[in-house]
Amino acid sequence: MFDFSVVTTWIDEGLRGIMPASGAIAIECVLIGVLLLAVYAVFALVLILAERKVCAAFQCRLGPNRVGPWGSIQTVADMVKIITKEIISIRHVDSFLHNLAPFLVIIASLLAFSCIPFAKGLQILDFNVGILFMVAASSIGIVGILLAGWSSNNKFSLIGAMRSGAQMISYELSIGLSIMTIVVLSGTMQISELVESQNDLWFIFKGHIPACIAFVVYLIAGTAETNRGPFDLPEAESELTAGYHTEYSGMHFGFYYVAEFVNMFIVAAIATTVFLGGWMPLHIPGLDAFNQAMDYIPSLVWFLAKSVVMVFVIMWFKWTFPRLRIDQLIRLEWKYLLPLNLVNLIVMVLIVALGWHF
Amino acid sequence: MSTIKSIIQEICPQAVFQETENAPVQVRLQAAELAKLLKPLREDAALQFDYLEDLVGMDFGEKLGVIYRLYSTVHNHRIIIECQAESRQEPELPTLSHIWAIANFYEREVFDFFGIHFIGHPDMRRLFLRSDHVGYPLRKDYDPASNPLKLDAECLPDDTSVYVDHDGKTQIEGHTLFEKDEYVVNIGPQHPATHGVLHFQVSLQGEIVKKVDVHCGYIHRGIEKMCESMTYPQTLAMTDRLDYLSAHQNRHALCACIEDAMGMEVPRRAQYIRVLMDELSRIQSHLLFYATFCMDLGALTPFFYGFRDREKILNIFEDTTGGRLIQNYNVIGGVARDLHPDFIKKTREFVEYLPGVLKEYHDVFTNNVIFRQRSKGIGLLSREQALSFGITGPTARASNLACDVRKHNPYSIYSEVLFKEVLYKNGDCLDRYMVRMDEIEQSLSIISQLLDKIPQGDYCAKTKPVIKLPEGRFFKSVETARGEFGVFIESRGEKYPYRLKFHPPCLPLVSVVDTLASGNKIADLITIGASLDYVVPDIDR
Amino acid sequence: MNSLVKYFSDFFSALKSLLTGMKTTLKVFFRKKTTELYPEKRGSLYVAEQFRGRLEMVHTEDNHHHCVACGICQMNCPNGTIQVESQTVTNAEGKSEKVLVAYRYDLGKCLFCELCVRTCPHHAIRFTNRFENAVFTREKLALVLNRPGSSLQPKPAKPAPADTNTNPAKPE
Repeated sequence: MFDFSVVTTWIDEGLRGIMPASGAIAIECVLIGVLLLAVYAVFALVLILAERKVCAAFQCRLGPNRVGPWGSIQTVADMVKIITKEIISIRHVDSFLHNLAPFLVIIASLLAFSCIPFAKGLQILDFNVGILFMVAASSIGIVGILLAGWSSNNKFSLIGAMRSGAQMISYELSIGLSIMTIVVLSGTMQISELVESQNDLWFIFKGHIPACIAFVVYLIAGTAETNRGPFDLPEAESELTAGYHTEYSGMHFGFYYVAEFVNMFIVAAIATTVFLGGWMPLHIPGLDAFNQAMDYIPSLVWFLAKSVVMVFVIMWFKWTFPRLRIDQLIRLEWKYLLPLNLVNLIVMVLIVALGWHF
Repeated sequence: MSTIKSIIQEICPQAVFQETENAPVQVRLQAAELAKLLKPLREDAALQFDYLEDLVGMDFGEKLGVIYRLYSTVHNHRIIIECQAESRQEPELPTLSHIWAIANFYEREVFDFFGIHFIGHPDMRRLFLRSDHVGYPLRKDYDPASNPLKLDAECLPDDTSVYVDHDGKTQIEGHTLFEKDEYVVNIGPQHPATHGVLHFQVSLQGEIVKKVDVHCGYIHRGIEKMCESMTYPQTLAMTDRLDYLSAHQNRHALCACIEDAMGMEVPRRAQYIRVLMDELSRIQSHLLFYATFCMDLGALTPFFYGFRDREKILNIFEDTTGGRLIQNYNVIGGVARDLHPDFIKKTREFVEYLPGVLKEYHDVFTNNVIFRQRSKGIGLLSREQALSFGITGPTARASNLACDVRKHNPYSIYSEVLFKEVLYKNGDCLDRYMVRMDEIEQSLSIISQLLDKIPQGDYCAKTKPVIKLPEGRFFKSVETARGEFGVFIESRGEKYPYRLKFHPPCLPLVSVVDTLASGNKIADLITIGASLDYVVPDIDR
Repeated sequence: MNSLVKYFSDFFSALKSLLTGMKTTLKVFFRKKTTELYPEKRGSLYVAEQFRGRLEMVHTEDNHHHCVACGICQMNCPNGTIQVESQTVTNAEGKSEKVLVAYRYDLGKCLFCELCVRTCPHHAIRFTNRFENAVFTREKLALVLNRPGSSLQPKPAKPAPADTNTNPAKPE
């Protein structure tokens, strides 16, 4: 199996050979930053197109089909349009916070994005509390949303932001606890080790029932965390027109839009990494020939394929279910998911302690 | 009938009765006597007029006044009361709003168009026009030049006025609608969930709705005024533009009213075609209801299912009538042209296709737990409230109020077809939704009953080139997809109607939004609005 | 205990309803799409023959129309869409008669109620199913329906019967 760290080490050594270590690190930082932003943008474009196509297929439509073959460069055109659009300045807003908010959202999303292990050795941030950092970083986004609602001086925005606050703080718990369940099973928080320890079997199979429950809970909570349907109350267009980003225009709105889609991918990627083995191929203990055949498929493909399936499932949720009401949303979390999660965690601890897992 | 007369005569000795055959009791009263009669009308065991069918403002020429049409669901009888205000300069009449809740909106409409002040009405504001409108447009002496086009935004006042009677002298009292520190959110006039340009001023306490103030009239076109200068065939062009989802049924009502007034016989074939088209309209309207209801609840995929299948009906319409939304198919004496040769085949295909799709609808939305929890027990409308608010149609039937005009006052050939009047008991959003879904099935059954039996013959009776109605008052109502749509014509024997009033099923529906939504959440307000299924052009006319 | 059973049965029935919904949408996902490609598939587009797209005046092959400029259509139009411009000329037999100069029709104002077509005593006008009426300025919607140089169909020839469906029961 190809290890991407070969490439990165080769570049690193090459740079260190021609310049002092500090210079090499500086160049690498810039390189990685640019690469990260580029990949982030590309992901956003692809995801938006995918969403529009998938949504259309669910709705007996064709979706975008004018720009490029099968509308394939529709989102590129959209991007050009939104970048050239005027950012309308609004009177009576807290302009500093109003302008700051979209950046907070996009930064949080970028930080979480940089933790994702795309393939063997292809990961930017990797340290011993990686998964904790990822969850923590992704929750900064809520500050951006709250600020947007507050600073917009718009009643719809404020209601949207308050809903968002209530929702994200609640579902943060479920996300944390369901990941914690797997952390108990694996005994590590480092993302690369999490993936490595799924070498023999993915965690969702290894931890059987509790892991499956944690997986489902994570998917629900993750969808809620990204403010996507059926949990899109903060921007519920039939109630609040556009919720917290009602007053945003041009690329400021674009930031929210892009962040929402990449966040969806991040949720799918975490689900993949934590439950479905990340870039690790499907290995079944005992079937060595099968395992070797699986290894021929590159790790990047494994990771992306699993993530795409997860993204599809999240889209499937959105395009099937009606929106929840705020009290249902909170009830679902505190009355169903949270107790379930806590019990699940205890069961997992018992299973690990008694060695009942595979 | 004689008991009604004797009771009224006892209370109002000056009442003037009009003798008509086979028609409801007509009586003319003085304003002062009307005030005395109101309570007995509603409460007397022998009268029990619990449903205010319509309240028609009239400019009688000399005086201004109102024609009330009351109906008793207990005794199944009707009365028409005419009441003229004393003076044209300061016209005053007693309010009915404390007895029939819907009178609140109706009287505001009359105030708006005729300038009649209703003493004791809690909220005497204009309903449709801007508060700075000069004059009262439906008076015959109104000068349109007094209102040049205004391009500035209207500032909505936070208070209203009440006309109170103090020992025979009328005084105006102020009354606050919204306090200064209330969190008032404007839902509309441009908002995805108001289904058109309707405006709710919603006072919120966090997520909870405290009060809803409805502002109508953003697309008021003055159709009733326009009709007064149109010949009868020309007025037909207007009805399709009221409730555009029941275009065909609306036009059916006006045609039937004119035909009845002329004493004209409509060929059997035309009647079959009319009913077939009525039921297809009902299905397409309910499919659209399903689509928009799902969308308002955030389920965007079923929205497209509804539209996909509605499109099939529109194609059938297009073949025969030449229109998709605005069909212009009914004409005085029958229908405009014969059925398309493919009509029966295509309709039968559709009738066979729809039940399978309906099952999918139920799978994807009706049985969904999120939807069930969002609609069950939300926006409860009791049977009494429904009556008092004059609500008809599926919304009333969800509250167990049997009011289907097709059943209780059959017109055309509805007495010859078998169908069930769908009734539900709870009167919540879920029941309002279910009534419509079940009505689709009933309409399908009506269509399949009729498809094989369409008789041969003329599709239109011959009419004179100039249609004149005899002098008198004519009323006809039909069951549209939203409720009872009534047409009232006051004819003075000319080519033009002296007064043409459309009774919109949707105005009562918006009038009840405040009652239903108060105390619920914002999301429930949207659900309630969607479940009432009002169409704005029908409210505004 | 009962409430606990209810808690779980509620939970699972809810889950079932959600999964049924997802199954249904997935079925539709793989079905044929209903979108009609316009203008690519314009040739095969189905527009009903009866569809009221816009008004046109019936012209024969040798550029004759049937309009006698009586103005009944103009009188019947509820919205003032039609202006019939005519002039009185003396014909070969020495009688004075009305001749159509311009039949002005404002598509932008038309209600498509078809009263003009229904009341025309000579079947001179009809609706076509041309539906592509969009233009860039309102002026372009003001049309003159009689073709340049066209004239009234000479008397002996019977008026061509218009489309049987567009013109049913005539008022007497």
